[in-house]
Formats: sequence, C-alpha cells, structure tokens
Amino acid sequence: MSEYIHDLIDWQFIISGVVLMAGVHAVLGLVAYGVYLERKICSYIQDRIGPNRVGFDFGLPFLSFLKGCLALGQPLADGIKFFFKEDFTPKNVDRVLFSLAPAIAVVPALIGFVIMPWGGALDIPAAGDMGAFQWLFGLPGFAGESFYFMFGHLEAQSVIVTGANVHVGVIYLLAVASLGVYGVTLAGWSSNNKYSMLGGLRATAQMISYEIPLGLSLLCALLIAGSFMPNEIIEYQAKHGWLMFSLPLPAILFYICGLAEANRAPFDNAEAEQELVGGFHTEYSSMRFALFFMAEYAHLVTACAFFALLFMGGYQVPLIGLTSPEATGILAVFAKVGVFSLKVVLLLCLAIVVRWTVPRLRYDQVMMLGWQGMIPAGMLMLVVTSVMVYLGATTMFPMFAANIGMLVIIMIVRLALAKAFGRSTTNKRIRMYGSRYYPMEGETSIAAPTVAMAIEDRPVQGSVSTV
Amino acid sequence: MYTLAEANEISAYLPVLLMIIGAAGFAGANLLFSFILGPRRAGERKGETYESGMDAVGTARKRFNIRFYLIAMVFLVFDVEIIFLYPWAQTFTSLDPMSDSSQIWLLRILFFLFTTLVAYIYGYRKGVFKFD
Repeated sequence: MSEYIHDLIDWQFIISGVVLMAGVHAVLGLVAYGVYLERKICSYIQDRIGPNRVGFDFGLPFLSFLKGCLALGQPLADGIKFFFKEDFTPKNVDRVLFSLAPAIAVVPALIGFVIMPWGGALDIPAAGDMGAFQWLFGLPGFAGESFYFMFGHLEAQSVIVTGANVHVGVIYLLAVASLGVYGVTLAGWSSNNKYSMLGGLRATAQMISYEIPLGLSLLCALLIAGSFMPNEIIEYQAKHGWLMFSLPLPAILFYICGLAEANRAPFDNAEAEQELVGGFHTEYSSMRFALFFMAEYAHLVTACAFFALLFMGGYQVPLIGLTSPEATGILAVFAKVGVFSLKVVLLLCLAIVVRWTVPRLRYDQVMMLGWQGMIPAGMLMLVVTSVMVYLGATTMFPMFAANIGMLVIIMIVRLALAKAFGRSTTNKRIRMYGSRYYPMEGETSIAAPTVAMAIEDRPVQGSVSTV
Repeated sequence: MYTLAEANEISAYLPVLLMIIGAAGFAGANLLFSFILGPRRAGERKGETYESGMDAVGTARKRFNIRFYLIAMVFLVFDVEIIFLYPWAQTFTSLDPMSDSSQIWLLRILFFLFTTLVAYIYGYRKGVFKFD
C-alpha cells in the first residue's frame, strides 16, 4: 500500500496539490471580491458611490488606521453575517432535498476549474540540482536534507501547472458545468413553493437549452486547435494566433452561453424579481442562500476562465516571451498565472457591465434566442469549421473570412425566412392593457364612456377611436 | 531531459477526487457552521410557504406546462448528437487535410448533422420551439 502511494506521488501530483490549494482560495476570493467589484461597478453605472464604509478595523481603536479601505472589508462582513443568520427550513418543504440542494449546486461549481492550466508547463530539475529551487523558495529552516528525504526519489520532470492534468481535458469541464443544473432543479422542486417551482423549471430549461450551443462552439474551437488538452489548446493559440480572431462567431456564442449557463443577467429569468420574487431560492436563507449565490458566481468565474482558455490564449500574450509556452521557469509560471487571472478578471468585468447595461430578456425571447438563433448558428459554424479543417485552411485569415461570410449569410437567411413566413423581424409585441401596443391593428379601443348614465355623469372628453 | 507526465494514467484523476471531497467538505462545513451559529426562533406563521404575504393557495406539486417536457426531450436529442461529435472531432483533426479518409469522415459527419437538421425541422413544424 505504502509503495503504491509512493509511486502515486510524482511531481505532477505535488504541483497539482499546490495549485488546488491556491486555486480554491483564489476562486472563492474572486467570488467574494467579484460581488464587491460588481457592487462598485454597478454603483458607478448608476451614479452612486457604492460600498465605502466597511474597513478592516473591526471596531477596535488600535486598528483605526484600517478604517475605510475602499470598503474592502465588505465581503468579509457579508460572509460573517451569513453565518449568524437563521438557517430556516419552512414547514412544507421536502427536508432532505431542501438541505441537500445548496451543496449539490456548489460542488460542481467549485470543481470545474480544476483542469485550468493556470501556469503552463514547468520544468522541475532532479533532486541533485535542487539548489536553484531552494534559493527561489528561500524559506528559513527549509533544509535541503529533509527535502531530499521527501522527494529525493523523484526524477527531473516537466509538469503542467494545473489542478489535474487529465486526458479528457475540456470535456471534463463541460460535463461538470452541466451538473450544476441539478442543484437548481432540486431547490425549485423541494421548496414546495410556486415561485420556486416556476423559477426552478425556467432555470432548468434555460440551462439545458444553452448547453447545446456551448458544446457546438466548443467543438469549433477543438476542431481548429486539434486537441482536447487545455495546455495544447493554448500552445496552438501561441503558435497560430488567438482563436478569438479565427472564430469570432463561436467566441461570441460561447460567451453568451456562459452567461446563460450561470443564470446571469440578461438571462436571469429564473429569479426575475418582478415575476418570481427570488426564483428557486425564494425559501432559502442564511448560508444555504449564500451557497447558491457562490455557485452562481463560481460558475461565472469558471465560464470566464474557460473563455480565456479557449479563445483568448489562456496564459499567453503575443510578443511577450515570458508568457510563451517555451518559457518553463518558475518566474514564467508566476507571470503566466498573473496573465491568466488578469484575463479572467477582465472578462468578469465585461459580464458585470453587460449585467448592468442590458435589460433582462423576456422568457420566450430567451428560449427563442437559444433554439431558433444560437443552435442553428452553432450548427452552421460547426459545418463550416469542419469543411475548413478538411480543406486545411485553419489559419487565422481564411477562418476569419469564413466567419464573416457566415455572419452575412445568417443575417440574410434570417430576414428571408421572416419574410417567407410572414413574421416580424423585430420582437413580437405582447398586448398588455395600458401599454403602447395595446390597441393592435384593426382593433378598437374605447377611450370614452359608452353607457348612457356614465355619459350623463361625465361629459364626453374623447371619441371612440379606431387605431 | 524533461519528460511530460502521462495524462492518461488513472492517477491523474486523483486531484479531481480530492477536489470533489474538498468541495463537499466546504459545502458541508458552511451548512454546519450556519446551523450551529445561527439563531432559532419558532413562530406560528413563520413556517408557512411564502406567497407574497397571502395565505398559500394549494401546494406547488401541480401539473406544469408541457413545453418544459418538450424542451427536455429535444435537449436529449441534440445533446446526445453532440456527445457523438467529440470522438469524431478527435479523429478528424488527426487526419491529413484533403485526403480520401478525411473526405469520408467529413461526408459521414455531414450526413449525421443532416439527420439532426431533419429532427430540428420536424420539431419546428410541430411547434416545439414556439414559446409565446
């Protein structure tokens, strides 16, 4: 047994462990401070100041110099507050599933980022040449003797700085991300509340619908990159240019699907406040609610990291040698982790700006966009990409041209189909009493009293009009 | 000098397992701490189902719109199709462009996607994708 464990521990496993330890804290920190960032950006969009009070002084006089701090203590205060609120279970719920649902929602969200190649490849020298390594870590009391004792049997190796260097690669991420729908469905059903039920159904339908264009645009990227391994996808992009430029249309589809998968505005029909109160988490309070919130945000972070990996070259920046896949030193790894994180944060900021500038889509519009817009477009792009792969023209320029051509064709076909079936090319108007669309073509609206007694009571101020 | 660690060994999945255990532990610990630290107050009306302050009318265990069921069915059709496309993509990209085998693989998958198109048109004509 112990020999088996001895064999199991190689450099890849050790680095994976380090990355996972750091990555969990980074993602959870990004979730907490992402909420802070969102509140700040939203408040600037709405011409407010946003959170600006909670510092790190904890009310203690000798820490008063930490007061304020741009309210960076706000996420911490929110987190602590969640623990001290009542974890209430209403009377009519299915108790087991009601308690289990937040955990089921948060686990897939947290394990998704495992395959992200944050730092690319790292060359680790053999135990004999460990001097440079020791110098870099430079910890006092970190004696070489014990280091050799622990890891001395390990050979020089090249490892990928990632959570788990698994062969299925991005398929794992896709599989795990789609597991998130279970938590939402169970929460909606187990609450035994009509708002929750409808919100859960909506969220489920939306999440499974947008999984299809997500998979299709991912396939386009995989066809071009020719590999399922995240690190090889980035190496391809370092060599041939970012896939964002050779596949602009799938990239846009992918980002939109990422927002819809995470139930983010403008696709947050599942919790549309005006219609469904809180949606599937109406009955939840305290930490259970916080877990749903965390799951949603962690999904968004994972989606942004996935986008950065597939379409924005991951850790790689053109013309900067330190971030190229050939650089495999420790310094390069830290630079790459920084670049990757920066890209994720920028994409997160884009998602936040989208949330606070684009109005929420109506539910039928969301589903129409998914099934009648994005899935046919994704299918078309898959066909075009595979034909281009067959022709061997997968470099940036022909692919970009093909994408633009397809975009033009999609626009023309859409207009032609709408004409052929006699449908409006704009959003369908929904008649609501009092709205500006209320009297539709050929209808009469009664704008004045018609009953004799009413006319007597109030002299005519308008006439019966036909619009 | 440096050899890349094998990624298709089963031991590569060990960190994934550790991460699943860790994430489940995180969720469980959060729920436990909230359970221990939070207050607990009972109230006569407190456990009622929330329905905007009114008395709840019936339960939520009711029949719901058939469209959700249809979406789930159509999703299964499309998602299974996409699952079949992944192994195809893995092989197709390893073939030489413009070669005979590459042509056969392309034509096969175009036929496969054509069957999807038939399913899509059938669904469209049946009104599965109408949501208003």
